[in-house]
Amino acid sequence: MRTFLDSIGYGGWILHALVAIPLVGAVLVALMRGRGARHLALAITVMELVLSLGLWWHFDPAGGMQYRAAVDWLPRWGIQYSVGLDGISLFMILLTTLLGPLSVIGSYNYITTRERGFYSLLLALSAGLVGCFIALDLFVFYVFFELMLIPMYFIIGIWGGKERLRAAIKFFIYTMFGSMLMLVAILVLVWKVGAATGTLSFAYDHLLANSAAAGPLAPWLFAAFALAFAIKVPIFPFHTWLPLAHVEAPTAGSVILASVMLKIGTYGFLRFAVPFFPEVALGPVVSGIMVTLAVIGIIYGALVAMVQPDFKKLVAYSSVSHLGFVMLGIWGATVQSVQGALMVMIGHGLSTGALFFLIGMLYERRHSREIAAFGGLARVMPLFSLVLTVVALSSIGLPGLNGFIGEFLVLIGSFEAYPWATGIATTGVIFAAAYLLWALQRIIFNRLDNPENEGLSDLSVREWLVLAPLVAGMIWMGLAPGPVLRRMEPATRQYLEQTRPGSTAADLSAEVGR
Amino acid sequence: MNPLDLSTPTGITVALLPEIILTLGALIVLLVVAWRHRTAGDSRLAGQLSLVMLAASGAAVAWLWVGRARAAGIALMIAVDEYRFAAIALILISAAATVLMSLRYMEREELLAPEYYPLILMGTAGMMFLASAEDLMVLFLGLEVMSVAVYVLAGYDRRNIFSSEAALKYFLIGAFASGFLLYGIALVYGATGQTNLVLIGAQLAAGQVPMMATLGLGLLLIGFAFKVAAVPFHMWAPDVYDGAPTPVTAYMATGVKVAAFIALTRMLFEAFPGTVQLWQPVIGVLAAVTMVVGNVIALAQRTVKRMLAYSSVAHAGYLLVAVWPGTRMGAGAVMLYLFAYVLTSLAAFALLASLGRGGERDVRLDDLAGLADRRPWSALALALCMLSLLGFPGTLGFIGKWYILQAAIAEAHYLLPVILVVTSVVSAGYYLPVIMSMYMKTAHAVPSDRGLYLPRGAAFVVAVSLVGVIVLGILPSGIVDVALRTAGSIAQTVAPVAGR
Repeated sequence: MRTFLDSIGYGGWILHALVAIPLVGAVLVALMRGRGARHLALAITVMELVLSLGLWWHFDPAGGMQYRAAVDWLPRWGIQYSVGLDGISLFMILLTTLLGPLSVIGSYNYITTRERGFYSLLLALSAGLVGCFIALDLFVFYVFFELMLIPMYFIIGIWGGKERLRAAIKFFIYTMFGSMLMLVAILVLVWKVGAATGTLSFAYDHLLANSAAAGPLAPWLFAAFALAFAIKVPIFPFHTWLPLAHVEAPTAGSVILASVMLKIGTYGFLRFAVPFFPEVALGPVVSGIMVTLAVIGIIYGALVAMVQPDFKKLVAYSSVSHLGFVMLGIWGATVQSVQGALMVMIGHGLSTGALFFLIGMLYERRHSREIAAFGGLARVMPLFSLVLTVVALSSIGLPGLNGFIGEFLVLIGSFEAYPWATGIATTGVIFAAAYLLWALQRIIFNRLDNPENEGLSDLSVREWLVLAPLVAGMIWMGLAPGPVLRRMEPATRQYLEQTRPGSTAADLSAEVGR
Repeated sequence: MNPLDLSTPTGITVALLPEIILTLGALIVLLVVAWRHRTAGDSRLAGQLSLVMLAASGAAVAWLWVGRARAAGIALMIAVDEYRFAAIALILISAAATVLMSLRYMEREELLAPEYYPLILMGTAGMMFLASAEDLMVLFLGLEVMSVAVYVLAGYDRRNIFSSEAALKYFLIGAFASGFLLYGIALVYGATGQTNLVLIGAQLAAGQVPMMATLGLGLLLIGFAFKVAAVPFHMWAPDVYDGAPTPVTAYMATGVKVAAFIALTRMLFEAFPGTVQLWQPVIGVLAAVTMVVGNVIALAQRTVKRMLAYSSVAHAGYLLVAVWPGTRMGAGAVMLYLFAYVLTSLAAFALLASLGRGGERDVRLDDLAGLADRRPWSALALALCMLSLLGFPGTLGFIGKWYILQAAIAEAHYLLPVILVVTSVVSAGYYLPVIMSMYMKTAHAVPSDRGLYLPRGAAFVVAVSLVGVIVLGILPSGIVDVALRTAGSIAQTVAPVAGR
């Protein structure tokens, strides 16, 4: 496979293609005539997925940052369109490209108005997401980070539910607030580093190598970066935009939002906020705050999810809880915990994406998401109920499915550093079981007492197409996480070396061996 | 081109060629309309003639710019440098766009008095003098020529009480501001014995800054603050912008702002470079207050025109942040931001003019509902305008803001940038509802823009502006370099870091 890919020069163009294809596709879809927008969008996203799959074989785990390419953009200010990929971003890219065609198929019947606009925005969104994950220049990252906002804003605002206007503007303003302060922080960092080294550059490597130049401003800069990403994740007190946006967005919007967009936040911590300012970020004060907030998020998200009458809102709050595990893992700062965090990011992407799809399917049939409106669905929709059960179990973290590996690694990896916090976080897993199983019980078990539910049809072929890849991914990652872990491990290690200048590779391998 | 000796008739004539052509053009058009001023065709003729005059003046600017014209020795009376050429080019763009969007508008609103066009040309000549002034007397003359023309233009719809109110208000406040400015000029002259900006600068650099000069500087700043509508001297702006016919509003929001900001920047950079510590706090406070108040009050507006008026106040605040550092980069940021703002505002006002009647005062946000279905291209264009005004990546508005932030941060100052970005987020609260209304709400039974359309001239303005905003927003390298280069002619700072 690798030889074949090399023979077509895969490494040279793949990253550019992954950004360019959906962008060009967005324009094509917007300008096309007739009603074939969804077919064209599907073709484009499938092409994107197929191309990106090559990365799985072609990617060299030990190669660090690879597929690098840089083109001058604004040379006077040291801005380049610079991209690259490592073991951390690889899986984010694959997740994004996998969800692309799925969200198109999932929207086939759901989106009936202004189709061209919808699919065009969906494609633009995936270009922005991919761009965010591969950007190696802070200007480029910032541009993509902001650019994602507009498509999502429209997707929520035009095709969303009743409260869509409020949800859209709240989403936009929250995210923009964080990112604007980050913009100031980026500029300050660039100029500080520029003054110290004599080279004005927004390049990631340059800033990473010289971020010590921030000096006494480091805590402030970290705060600005952290705020932007904390809103995006979202970490506990900044999460209030999330339930509204998730619930109001159309299915595809919720899926992309939960599965990929939230990960931009955690990715931002891993790629930028922590490595730039490791002394601040992993110092006692900030660590204390972040770990506390992460644990609060885990418990709070789970508890609030438990009492939601709306299934979609329940899943939305469960995201707050799951992302808390990611944050805990990042601050656990061991190989296991960071790998665990990455695994939770992927696992949450698969299982929450699938949950939102399933909710969308229910909604298409019944035009309701109230848990109380259902009951006994196992009788009329046995296959649907089976899939829902598998997905819910994966989200809970049942061993053998993907959710387990990530959370387990996070808890193991963080235990030494934060025994108390980890102990409390563990109860989050129990709460997760409680809210999801309880919801399952009320939706698919119990008695079939609502006559409206009697005639519901089971999963169609199209819906199987959406769910099968996700379920397959969950089972595969649950049973054989090895290939995934192997690919991300060197990058994790490198990340930890960057953030802990004192430690050597030997310490780290000792740690893994334990 | 050889350096121009401005003390000789030939030298000064060549240096003033754009202004001379335009003034002559204004007189010619005035003469033509003296005979032909009855029908709509006459009015259109005057407009088309005006476009020719503006183009001729633009050609003269281009000739000077390409020929790298400069003055021999220090420039007396009038600047001959790239900063001036760029500013004049911007002013001419704004005037030409105003004429283009007025052509059909004046017919539709039955404002068929073709003296309108010579007034625009006169006002434009005034703006050009103001932006080119190397001497406080020229500066004042330019300001007055510009202002008198704009007073009349603001009240051009004389059957409309709000238009008349706008003219009167603008006139009274403008006279007041001129008073401040003139008194400031007198005091500075009294302290230094000079009216030439560079000579004042040399005089003040020599020793202690006399009290009288400080006082003069303060009065000058107040006068300019009135003109650029900086808070707390902004009270007139919303009513005037709101009441004037929309093309005139566009003209005021763009042309007047460019001229005033360029003159302010030039004055501060050339006459008061050594006294940065005197004016920097004043500009800083003005900028902060203007950004906060402009943006917050704009949030509360329900009509589009008034919202744009307050947003224009807010943008004056951003521009003051660019003036604040007093560096070459700051001056470049002023130029680039003005360019972005001019293009975007022209497009926004041209679109607004096609959305209502009778001065478009009462086009509410709700009236835009469903515009995306009725007029998809207009809606898309207006949405792009809003995003550029918001400073969203991919538009020139973003590059402008980025530049301003860099200019301030390069001086290791962080408070104004933070205020700028936070108030920008606030501005999303009023720019986005426009988009929301157009795309996410369903239309009323009788939309206010029924039977209206975007005439060809205005559509041309919108299309060209927005293509510029997007293309330059994506590939900003060239325009950024030009902005910085033009700024080099009024501010020479040694750069410790490349690009400063």
